[in-house]
Amino acid sequence: MASLSARCVAEGVGTLLLVYFGAGAAAITLMIAKGSAPPNSFNIGIGTLGGLGDWFAIGMAFAIIIAAVIYSLGRVSGAHINPAVTIALWATKRFPANEMVAYVFAQLIGAALGSTLFVLSAGMNAVTIGGLGATAPFPGIGYGQAILVEAIGTFVLMLVIMGVAVDNRAPPGFAGLIIGLAVGGIITTIGNISGSSLNTARTFGPYLIDTILGGPNLWIYFPVYIIGPIAGAVIAAFFYDKVCSA
Amino acid sequence: MKCYVCAKEGVDSDAVAACVVCGMGTCMKHTIRKEIDVWEGGYPFPSKKLPKRMPRMLCPDCSSAFTEAK
Repeated sequence: MASLSARCVAEGVGTLLLVYFGAGAAAITLMIAKGSAPPNSFNIGIGTLGGLGDWFAIGMAFAIIIAAVIYSLGRVSGAHINPAVTIALWATKRFPANEMVAYVFAQLIGAALGSTLFVLSAGMNAVTIGGLGATAPFPGIGYGQAILVEAIGTFVLMLVIMGVAVDNRAPPGFAGLIIGLAVGGIITTIGNISGSSLNTARTFGPYLIDTILGGPNLWIYFPVYIIGPIAGAVIAAFFYDKVCSA
Repeated sequence: MKCYVCAKEGVDSDAVAACVVCGMGTCMKHTIRKEIDVWEGGYPFPSKKLPKRMPRMLCPDCSSAFTEAK
């Protein structure tokens, strides 16, 4: 097995790529839509161009990069690239506590580096217009609703991970593809409700770099993306162990 | 089963192994044993190299192809 430091580097790089391409796709969509009039108050720009197709495109960007990271780095670190997944595996005694802490730090650092690289690539409009693809509940969506939606979305994600990867009965070779597509589908549906983070690190990176570079300050919503994803993932892992593993 | 390589040379010898790639029967002299690393695990856990390696019996032709491919 690779050393813990090598695995943390892999986790960091994986999360960097997730944020650069996934959150980057959301920022680019907002940049492209700038100047067009949203048809209603529920629409803040993503959806102006192609309706739900905008969210599908963002979901596919996430799907493809997640599959790529799982297939390329999965054997090295496990390619969790998501603190909620790491914590759920730890909660069900599948992952050691000290490594869980190291993985989460690596994911947060990787996410921040991903957002930084995106600014360097796309320029300051990515911050001022695209907000680096930072997630926030949409107009009319309350704090509790957003937590519930994030929890449901991450529950589905973790359930799929348990079914296609953790379970020894799963057919080999499909994990990256199915998990990526599951995330894409989840984002298509709940993107315009909670922003569909499903991942504390994916939200942390854009928030941090937005704050440093004078973009939108959304930290008031950060607990949504801590509580929702971690609760959803942990519940899914225990649910799978109790109900589906018999 | 007889050794195919020996048979081509006009020598009659019993096979002690079959090549894992082509199935050719080979005698002790013409059997090449390769040790292959075995890995356990994978997404969402890091892969671990197991302490023991897996033996593979190969004929001379497949062994040279295997070596050249590397």
